[in-house]
Amino acid sequence: MRKRGFFLLALLVALLAFAAGCGGGEEEGAGGDTAAATGGGGDTGGGEDVSGSINVLAVWTGAEGEAFQAVLDGFKEQYPNVNVSYQSAQDPATVLSTSVEGGNPPDVAALPSPGIMADFAGRGALKPIDFARSAIEENYAPVWLELGTVENELYGLFFKGANKSTVWYNVAAFENAGVEPPEDWETFLQNAETLKASGTPAYSIGGADGWTLTDLFENIYLRTAGPEKYDQLATHEIPWTDQSVKDALAEMAKVLGDAENVAGGTSGALQTDFPTSVTQVFADPPKAAQVIEGDFVGGVIGAETQAEPETGFNVYAFPNIGDGPEGAVVGGGDVIVMFKDNPAARALIQYLATPDAAAIWAERGGFSSPNKNLDAEVYPDELTRTTATALAEAEVFRFDLSDLQPAAFGSDAMFSLLQDFLRNPEDVDGIAQKLEDAAAKAYGG
Amino acid sequence: MSGTTFRPEFPREGGTRANPKTAAWRGLLLPLGFLAPAIFFLGVWVVYPTFATMVRSLYSDRGDRFVGLENYRRLFSDDIIFTAIKNNFLWVLFIPLGVTAVGLVFAVLTERVRWSVAFKIAVFIPLAVSLFAVGVIWRIMYQQDPERGVINAAIVAVQGVVSERGVISTAAPSTDDLEGTTQTGISLKEPVRTGEVALLGLTAIRAPEIPEGAQDARAPEPLQGGITGVVWRDFKPGGGTPGEVEAEEVGLGGVTVELREPGSNRAVERTTTEADGTFAFEEVADGEYTVAVARNTFAEPFEGFNWLGPSLITPAIMLSYIWVSAGFAMVIIAAGLAAIPRDTIEAARTDGATEFQIFRRITIPQLMPVLTVVFVTQIIACLKIFDLVLAIAPGSSRNDATLLAFEMWRRAFSGQNLFGLGSAISTFLLLLFIPFLIVNVRRFRAEAR
Amino acid sequence: MAVRAERAPVVIEESLAAKIVRLTAKAPVHLALLFIGILWLVPTAGLFVTSLLDPSDQASGGWWNFAFQPSAWTLENYTKMFDNERIVDALIITAQVTLGATILPIIVAALAAYALAWIDFPGRDWIFLTVIALLLVPIQMALIPMFSLYNRFALFDTVPGLILFHSAFALPFAIFLLRNFFAGIPKDLMEAARIDGASEWRLFFRVVLPLGLPAIASLAIFQVLFVWNDLLIGLVMAQQNQPIAPAIASQLRQFGSNLDVLAPAAFFSAVIPLVIFAAFQRYFVQGLLAGSVK
Repeated sequence: MRKRGFFLLALLVALLAFAAGCGGGEEEGAGGDTAAATGGGGDTGGGEDVSGSINVLAVWTGAEGEAFQAVLDGFKEQYPNVNVSYQSAQDPATVLSTSVEGGNPPDVAALPSPGIMADFAGRGALKPIDFARSAIEENYAPVWLELGTVENELYGLFFKGANKSTVWYNVAAFENAGVEPPEDWETFLQNAETLKASGTPAYSIGGADGWTLTDLFENIYLRTAGPEKYDQLATHEIPWTDQSVKDALAEMAKVLGDAENVAGGTSGALQTDFPTSVTQVFADPPKAAQVIEGDFVGGVIGAETQAEPETGFNVYAFPNIGDGPEGAVVGGGDVIVMFKDNPAARALIQYLATPDAAAIWAERGGFSSPNKNLDAEVYPDELTRTTATALAEAEVFRFDLSDLQPAAFGSDAMFSLLQDFLRNPEDVDGIAQKLEDAAAKAYGG
Repeated sequence: MSGTTFRPEFPREGGTRANPKTAAWRGLLLPLGFLAPAIFFLGVWVVYPTFATMVRSLYSDRGDRFVGLENYRRLFSDDIIFTAIKNNFLWVLFIPLGVTAVGLVFAVLTERVRWSVAFKIAVFIPLAVSLFAVGVIWRIMYQQDPERGVINAAIVAVQGVVSERGVISTAAPSTDDLEGTTQTGISLKEPVRTGEVALLGLTAIRAPEIPEGAQDARAPEPLQGGITGVVWRDFKPGGGTPGEVEAEEVGLGGVTVELREPGSNRAVERTTTEADGTFAFEEVADGEYTVAVARNTFAEPFEGFNWLGPSLITPAIMLSYIWVSAGFAMVIIAAGLAAIPRDTIEAARTDGATEFQIFRRITIPQLMPVLTVVFVTQIIACLKIFDLVLAIAPGSSRNDATLLAFEMWRRAFSGQNLFGLGSAISTFLLLLFIPFLIVNVRRFRAEAR
Repeated sequence: MAVRAERAPVVIEESLAAKIVRLTAKAPVHLALLFIGILWLVPTAGLFVTSLLDPSDQASGGWWNFAFQPSAWTLENYTKMFDNERIVDALIITAQVTLGATILPIIVAALAAYALAWIDFPGRDWIFLTVIALLLVPIQMALIPMFSLYNRFALFDTVPGLILFHSAFALPFAIFLLRNFFAGIPKDLMEAARIDGASEWRLFFRVVLPLGLPAIASLAIFQVLFVWNDLLIGLVMAQQNQPIAPAIASQLRQFGSNLDVLAPAAFFSAVIPLVIFAAFQRYFVQGLLAGSVK
């Protein structure tokens, strides 16, 4: 009996050894070893002094991933002794949560919202990037510096921006209906009526992805309530039951409530995800004439439809409402943060603040940079140039409000509540109250 | 030794009994030897994290403060989590039974057919595809729009065969002079007298649905003793003036126009419009009539189901889950069937038992352990479902489709980082199940005696 | 030990009429199976057709419209997938992990199941109960504690690390299944063998294991499936050496419907487990023949 026992044990050990042997070859590359770097403190120049191996995590894959890799290659040219390995993840927040809890995060990561950055900062997971302050001040409008700050510490640098105050439309549908891109909200709503009469619904709403609804709300709110109130709402200084919120919701209901003018009707819109809400505008025949979303829509059109710029699709700025601020832009951005402080990581962050880094991606398209020193000529086409310039030069710029909230509210409850609002746009007071309840819970808890 | 009744038993005796003393000693060493590797793995990878989670649930989301039962209070006062618990009950009620039954039927049926391997593979394929991809494909199938979702497309196709309607899917009155919808037909509010001209202008007509060969609309001359009129698409780029027939506006030919008694829907006369949209009722008895565009001009609005809407989303996800799991049940039960000795069955057959009796008295009892495995595994699987909810339920229906495991993921891992709450949900899930499990195991033990 | 009773094959002569009766009696069964089988294939067919379409066709909806239009079909999605070196590497890793994570838990579980089924010792039923309860532990919750543990023992981002993780989580179900199977073995058989003087190990190897082959086969199939398609563990516990599912996930774009990446990947990933299933199918039948004891 003992013999059998040993035999079995030996078998087990052999198996493990076999498995280890197979995997042994790939043992290197285990994450996060930050080699000690020589030549500390080199800000600009001294590229060869900095060495080490760092990991970068971001959401960019496919063509975007290649573009970002090109940016990293540009970094490598300046710092030849630094080894950067880039990993993409569709949901960086999930991966980062686990790795932070487990004690082994990447050195540098790109987060999709300042709210998530604040969460991680609050948990003590991020390292301040004060060394990059002067670079940021030189290259960005002050609002971007503020956005990267949590409780007076600078944690984030914005590398990729998104202009969310754009409306993309089907050129043929507009021609058939005889409408032009509107300058103001009144004309916008009138256009919608005309489009409906022409047989093409005016709005394509990706209601399944709640963030499209929050973007619409924010665009309206910034224009009807003004930037000061926007800031107050963003930090929950005023409640969601404030009259300004209700007014904005009522304006929003003029779009959402026009069920016959929405592709698929209310129930259809609730099931339509964002990519579909874009592609259905450029189908043949189009299911709707316009989609109100940010400049990344251009990328989806390019990848998934046959529409050509200016002949098939075009874009106009979200119209102003009443006497709101002209050329106001609600935007988003990816913020670069640092989980481990070492010279190589510092060097990377400083590099990403420069217009050269931004230019590498910008010239490939599908990218807007908030960097004000970037030469707009670098953008590959007119449409991108327009939307990107509007972003970088906006007189009134505000970051996407839902991205500034604690994640439980801004990435979850706010979405579902606005979806409920889409389902029943009459209930302005009710939704305002529920938004306030959810916000209070998220801020309080 | 043939003909012994075959019953699954919990064996009571075991081990060699050479020497009582060493037997007692070996009595523990032996099973320990067999169990050691399992205990090691389970202890480190499963038991330790379980306890770590239970402990974690007593701390705040960020892990820095001890909060006792606070997370559980949050759990029970949350509406969404309450819906999740409710949904879990529904799932546990229907799914294990459903899946086991379907698997059993399939396993039994395929036993009798020679080409069963092909069928088995067809039923097994869903398991081979990753659960997330399953969710994606079903999400597409469930699309309400019959041009996208194959299920509603099939329903609409069947409808189309049955009813005969027109092509125009949307239309609306162009002015307040008209009323009605594509369901009721669109008519002029004011009755029309003989010798007058009826103008029926429609908007919201899709360009591709304009009848072929349509010509520019024109308002016809009034007819003595009759009623004339025009049905046209009252729109030109820029809108034009509603209610007036203008250049560039196109007439709708082939449309059925009805002449009705005022105040009723009964058609007195019918006619069809010409290519330029004009129509004429000649020799009409004097009086007032309501002129309407008949509803059969318009296409039936598709009556598919809103699968992805809040009310049907849970059954929809359940269906996709059965599609996936039937293969699982079938394979395991088929293995169990394969292990049943043929002789007993043959003997019963020659003794004159019917197939049904054999099934009930011999097959099922012998399959009990296997059926139990499937049943219990399914109950547990129900409590763990998460990928399907993520992939199939659109954001707008998420709160209606949610399940506990999904909520746990949502709070802990989707960026909200509420680890304290997430751990509490996990622990709750575990505790929920244990009493149920004990009852079941006791029951089976009793049965075995 | 095993006594095989043989029955002389009985030759039945069937008249033509009897043959027709027999076949038509089965007709409903055949028809039902055919209908159900075809219906069952629809979603998979949809996935397959979708994987052959280019992104703008995929977006225009209604894959069944393209089902019979071979001109719209393209292999581009697949070639893009295979050109990607990352994907090819991932496939190799996945094969290694799947192999290890199938063999290991089966061995461990068979041993444990045997003890729980056929060896009487105090606390046995409680241990079994615990094993079943452990079926409930969601993998997600184990991720965080194991993540730190893995980093401490240098198991992070390694193939053995993944194998051990998967093996451990396969155990509760494996033990549950095998134990119930083993328990179904006729007591007389075991008694007879014991009387013959067989030791526990002998019993295990020579009697129980062979009889349990159908169960072991199905276990193997499911484990292969689960490990092959696993996304979560591979995503969190690996970084440079990711298995196939996380590798594909890393190719998904942030905006956009990603069907052109998902559909071919999902379909191709399904092929391997299917092949294994088809192969193991025969094993069931063999198990039947080998196991018909009496």
